[in-house]
Amino acid sequence: MRPFTYEQAPDARAAVQMAAVPSDAHVRSPVQFIGGGTTLLDLMKLDVMRPATLVDITPLEKAEAGRIQQTPQGVRIGALVRMSDAAEHPLLVQQFPMVAQSLALAASQQLRTMARLGGNVLQRTRCPYFREIAYGQCNKREPGSGCAALDGHNRLHAILGVSEACIASYPGDWAQALVALDTNVEVMGPRGPRVIPFAELHKPPADTPHIETTLVPGELITAFNVPASAAARRSLYLKVRDRESYAFALASAAVGLDLDGERVRDVRIGLGGVATVPWRARKAEEALRGQVLDEAAAEKAAEAEFAAARTHGHNDFKVPVGRQTLVRALMAAKAMEV
Amino acid sequence: MQPVPPVPPPMENMGKPDPRYEARSKVTGRARYAADEPVSNPAWAFLVTSAIAKGKVRRFLADEAKGIPGVLAIITHENAPKREKVAFFGDGGYVSTSLVPLQGPDIHHAGQIIGVVLADSYETAREAAHRLRVEYEVAEPVAGFRSPGAQTVELAAVKKSHKDVGVGDIDKGLADAAVTVDAEYFTPTQHHNPIELFSTTAVWNGDELTIYEPSQFVYSLKNCVARQLALPPEKVHVINPYVGGAFGSKGAPTQRTALVAALARQFNRPVKLVVARDQGFFITTYRAETRHRVRLGATPDGKLTAYGHEGWELTSMVDNYDVAGTENTAEMYASPNVWTKVNLVKADRNTPGFMRSPPEVPYMYALECAMDELAVALNMDPVELRRINDTMKSPINGAAYTSRSLMKCYDEAAAQFGWSRRDPRPGSMRDGEWLVGWGCATATYPTNMMPSAARVRLGGDGSARVQVAAHDVGTGAYTVIGQATAEFLGIPADKVVVELGDSRLPPGPVAGGSMTTASACSAVKVACDRIRERLGGSVPADPKALAGMFEKLKVGSLEEYAEWAPPGGEKGLAALHEGRMGGGSAERGGGTPKPAMFAFGAEFVEVRIHSRTKEIRVPRITGAFAGGRILNPRTARSQYLGGMIWGIGSALHEATEIDEKRARYVNANIAEYLIPVNADVPLVEIIMVPEVDTQVNPIGVKGIGELSNVGTAAAIANAVYHATGKRIRDLPIRPESLV
Amino acid sequence: MGGDTKATGVSRRGFLASSASTAAVPLAAGVLGAGAASAQAPGRAPDPRAPVDMVLKVNGTDYRLPLDIRTTLLDALREHAGLTGAKKGCDQGQCGACTVHLDGQPVLSCLTLAVMAQGKAVTSIEGLEGRDGTLHPVQQAFIDNDAFQCGYCTPGQIMSAAACVEQGRAGDEAAIREFMSGNLCRCAAYPNIVAAVKQAAVVKTGRA
Ligand SMILES: Cc1cc2nc3c(=O)[nH]c(=O)nc-3n(C[C@H](O)[C@H](O)[C@H](O)COP(=O)(O)OP(=O)(O)OC[C@H]3O[C@@H](n4cnc5c(N)ncnc54)[C@H](O)[C@@H]3O)c2cc1C
Ligand code: SF4
Ligand code: FES
Ligand code: FES
Repeated sequence: MRPFTYEQAPDARAAVQMAAVPSDAHVRSPVQFIGGGTTLLDLMKLDVMRPATLVDITPLEKAEAGRIQQTPQGVRIGALVRMSDAAEHPLLVQQFPMVAQSLALAASQQLRTMARLGGNVLQRTRCPYFREIAYGQCNKREPGSGCAALDGHNRLHAILGVSEACIASYPGDWAQALVALDTNVEVMGPRGPRVIPFAELHKPPADTPHIETTLVPGELITAFNVPASAAARRSLYLKVRDRESYAFALASAAVGLDLDGERVRDVRIGLGGVATVPWRARKAEEALRGQVLDEAAAEKAAEAEFAAARTHGHNDFKVPVGRQTLVRALMAAKAMEV
Repeated sequence: MQPVPPVPPPMENMGKPDPRYEARSKVTGRARYAADEPVSNPAWAFLVTSAIAKGKVRRFLADEAKGIPGVLAIITHENAPKREKVAFFGDGGYVSTSLVPLQGPDIHHAGQIIGVVLADSYETAREAAHRLRVEYEVAEPVAGFRSPGAQTVELAAVKKSHKDVGVGDIDKGLADAAVTVDAEYFTPTQHHNPIELFSTTAVWNGDELTIYEPSQFVYSLKNCVARQLALPPEKVHVINPYVGGAFGSKGAPTQRTALVAALARQFNRPVKLVVARDQGFFITTYRAETRHRVRLGATPDGKLTAYGHEGWELTSMVDNYDVAGTENTAEMYASPNVWTKVNLVKADRNTPGFMRSPPEVPYMYALECAMDELAVALNMDPVELRRINDTMKSPINGAAYTSRSLMKCYDEAAAQFGWSRRDPRPGSMRDGEWLVGWGCATATYPTNMMPSAARVRLGGDGSARVQVAAHDVGTGAYTVIGQATAEFLGIPADKVVVELGDSRLPPGPVAGGSMTTASACSAVKVACDRIRERLGGSVPADPKALAGMFEKLKVGSLEEYAEWAPPGGEKGLAALHEGRMGGGSAERGGGTPKPAMFAFGAEFVEVRIHSRTKEIRVPRITGAFAGGRILNPRTARSQYLGGMIWGIGSALHEATEIDEKRARYVNANIAEYLIPVNADVPLVEIIMVPEVDTQVNPIGVKGIGELSNVGTAAAIANAVYHATGKRIRDLPIRPESLV
Repeated sequence: MGGDTKATGVSRRGFLASSASTAAVPLAAGVLGAGAASAQAPGRAPDPRAPVDMVLKVNGTDYRLPLDIRTTLLDALREHAGLTGAKKGCDQGQCGACTVHLDGQPVLSCLTLAVMAQGKAVTSIEGLEGRDGTLHPVQQAFIDNDAFQCGYCTPGQIMSAAACVEQGRAGDEAAIREFMSGNLCRCAAYPNIVAAVKQAAVVKTGRA
């Protein structure tokens, strides 16, 4: 861990001012906000991230950023809310089950207690070649150095949204729910606030895997607005993992359904564990809209979504497991009592 | 489901289920583990380890790291203190690997120690280690079995003491068979990953060295470091009263200790090293991956006619480490024809070593899966197949088992589990979307012993103190040694103070091979017997009477130092004081043929596999075990429990993943090297089958700490077959095995 | 039986500050690290590694400790405050051995910066026992149910278990197992840990 200067930001505006330094990519930015620190300090100890300044944004939790509030459109979730608090918030548990479940099934009780939602969506990949500086090749860590995962061990790597430059999977759970439900993100920047669709927050690796989001380094996430909907109410998060708890997803699906009898009026699908970014499964959604939802239709939709999958050996199994995760989640959501 | 009460009532041939001797210090945080030891003003060490698996360090670019305020020194092969070479423990020496770090630029495995940073603070040492730049000359490494250039050698050709066991004529046995099985199995690299990190703190006081380090064998560490630093052994003192889990990883001394101690001497300051979790994967040992070919032949009614087992074990280029589990598996079932062979495969890897039940876990996995395959081929219940081939004497040399309660274990565990309700057809026991499978397998572990000494003192107030440099790695050694002392003296257990884990105490056995209880308590018994003799046969319960006797004897206390060796193992006493475990100090009793001494168990598991997404879970597991006299059923039960959960991990979670191109462990952390978590373990049932064995040793105990993680993985693989109809022969079994 | 070792209570590099004279001062919008360090030679660029005075309130006592800004709460407790109960099992937030309470919540002290723990109440395993030596119901339950073997994960397990009971989440076994799954136990005492949490919950609520 490199030494750093530690500053506490009393409010969002001050935080943004403290963080205003130019940098091409967030992962390399010399100024980092720190919330729970569970991603940041982990990577700093590994010498993967080397910020010179930490701006502590936890004091912001005393204001709006620390609250979950019902709004006319749905719910506004502050970026400094703890994962554990959101996972148990009655409004989320009842009206947005996938939002609460994806948090409850993530990490461990201690990590959920520490971690804040703004940092959660920005957690970094678990790709071992990214996390260990002994490896000379990682385009995400050292742009242009190559990608060791392509011919290395890639069991946990992505199969959707991959590029020649990077196949790292997005490891988080909550983001799948956010991307599925058309969430908007409130951002504060040096030039004031702006709102971006959550689906546009993360960038697929393409040929610049070190640029992971559309945030300008120094921009601060302040809140997430999740619109209410019938699909949000009939929703769930299914996480398939090696262990029964405390493991990253091999494949996961956040599924929301609006049903007219057996017929799909609306459907929202976010996929995790299989993709480089929180993955909105639009092809599967398209295949399902207006259809009677049965196993055959679900299988077909899953096939449509995973048709573009590209595997690299150890992760070949993620195609069938990813497809079946989606099918299982769809059938379970259909069977839900709402 | 209700968990079984953790405090089983004592049964026949069992001691009392006393709570752990050191319980209070462990729940209050007062138990002092090695890295907890406060030392004044230590220099912090942080290791620099190799990024490549094979080649050379061309040069270090150290200016940046050196310039960091607080950095005391950067030690590399260019300026490292000299250490004497000590032989590999497998060759009768001490160390876990013969590769001495920082003796030259050559790299033999990924993660090899290539430098040490010393700094005033931990934070700065770590920073400097990361900022030390290294230029390498890279060569292509051999990562494992599948790598081009992997070299296979017959174990018998490289190890004089090894003889591939066998009897009869395997070809004839197979030709005579009505049904045969011929299958290959694979077990992966696994790392012990005790939760306590590896650490070393070295403090000099004049020419005397004190080492605080987690160790399963303080005498070995003391003697090893003394030789490496050319010191008289009595100048080295190893202190380690508590060990935060070990499982074999803290048995043979690693090369780090002498290095840290030498630096402490050079810099005239205590040095503290806490090895980072990822580095621990490379600088200590691991369970090597193995490959097996097992051939079984049987008559139509299930009698074995042939058992053939060839094993391949990975080892490093520099050392030949082997486990050769065929020695034990060959004695399991009554087959007239047995043929075995063990091979080593050399790779550019760190040297492997013991890990909980080193030979039995991989070799019994292969045999017990093959037995299940044979049962299926015979259309026979797998329990019945074991019954038909149960034996009371070794099929190899005819030696009688001192006791063997295998079928009793099967019968009791089967009844508890409800095995009779099993529909043998694969895929027949579905529960909604979940496929259900039931499987079983045999657990076994040999009874090892090694010489031990002990000192017991009885005070005039009726209190006693027992001292032996044995180790409690969580096994309950404090408790059972205290209880045994109390029993042998005939005093209450709460009157006994127990001192372990210190190289100034009388030498005790390595905490390995499950032999602490049998060995240390046997020595304690000799000492206690002598004390009782001096008191005319017994310690009077009445304090006044006791005080009177002490007055008559004109002593304030009675103290006896005793040494004990298993029959035929007397020559091991000298080795004991030198802390040697290589070269066969683990004895199995005397006489020819040596009696067959094993503990046995039977394990039954239920697996559930999601029909779509293929996650595999183990909702319940039942094990019955017979291990001779059980000194404390509470701590014994915990060991059985932990072992079976280890077996779940071994079957479904644990694998050190290796980058085949770079010969490097990629999941060298405990978020991605998966071990079971609490949620993975709903119900574990333990049955302790009473067993009396009067021949095995003076106190009638067998080793149990490594018994119950043998066979579990096979039981699970067999259950997976029952659930799915798919025979998975490679571990771990994960969703990708089943899609 | 006499298996206990004495608590050390010594802090080597820091000193025990009396709770009255040094209240923990939160550093509102303060800047620490570069420039804030004392004892810098004039004219040279300040070294951001130079120790900074911090005040940590641990188990009700204020500790004033000069710490490198990078020091984690875990290392501050273990290496500077002389409180070695919390254990380091990974230093990367993976094992739970370092679990302590921060304002009553279970957190991983290895991924918490000491500087950020200032102004909060830290409770470590050393703070669970009553002043008269009475064990916390969770500690007693761990002994009664043999909920440990080597004991290394135990301080972390007990801190998580205490939070689980305190927060009323010990209702059923599945909930206990999930709550406790962030605490790895390589000895695998899990079923006994669950039994211990259940026992402690009964003690706390007075009902089964
Ligand atoms: C062992 C382990 C297991 C885990 N398992 C899971 C799992 O199963 N599922 C899962 O989803 N997650 C898992 N995680 C990840 C965990 O959820 C994240 O680390 C956590 O949510 C990050 O939140 P934080 O507040 O700690 O972020 P920090 O570490 O404080 O911040 C992370 C990054 O985001 C930036 N940042 C933080 N807040 C903001 C903001 N408001 N605006 C802009 N930038 C910001 C920081 O500068 C930093 O770069 C696991 C982590 C660990 C260590
Ligand atoms: S997959 Fe991405 S993060 Fe991993 S090594 Fe390749 S470039 Fe780096
Ligand atoms: S030491 Fe903190 S989680 Fe392992
Ligand atoms: S008791 Fe040893 S790790 Fe839990």
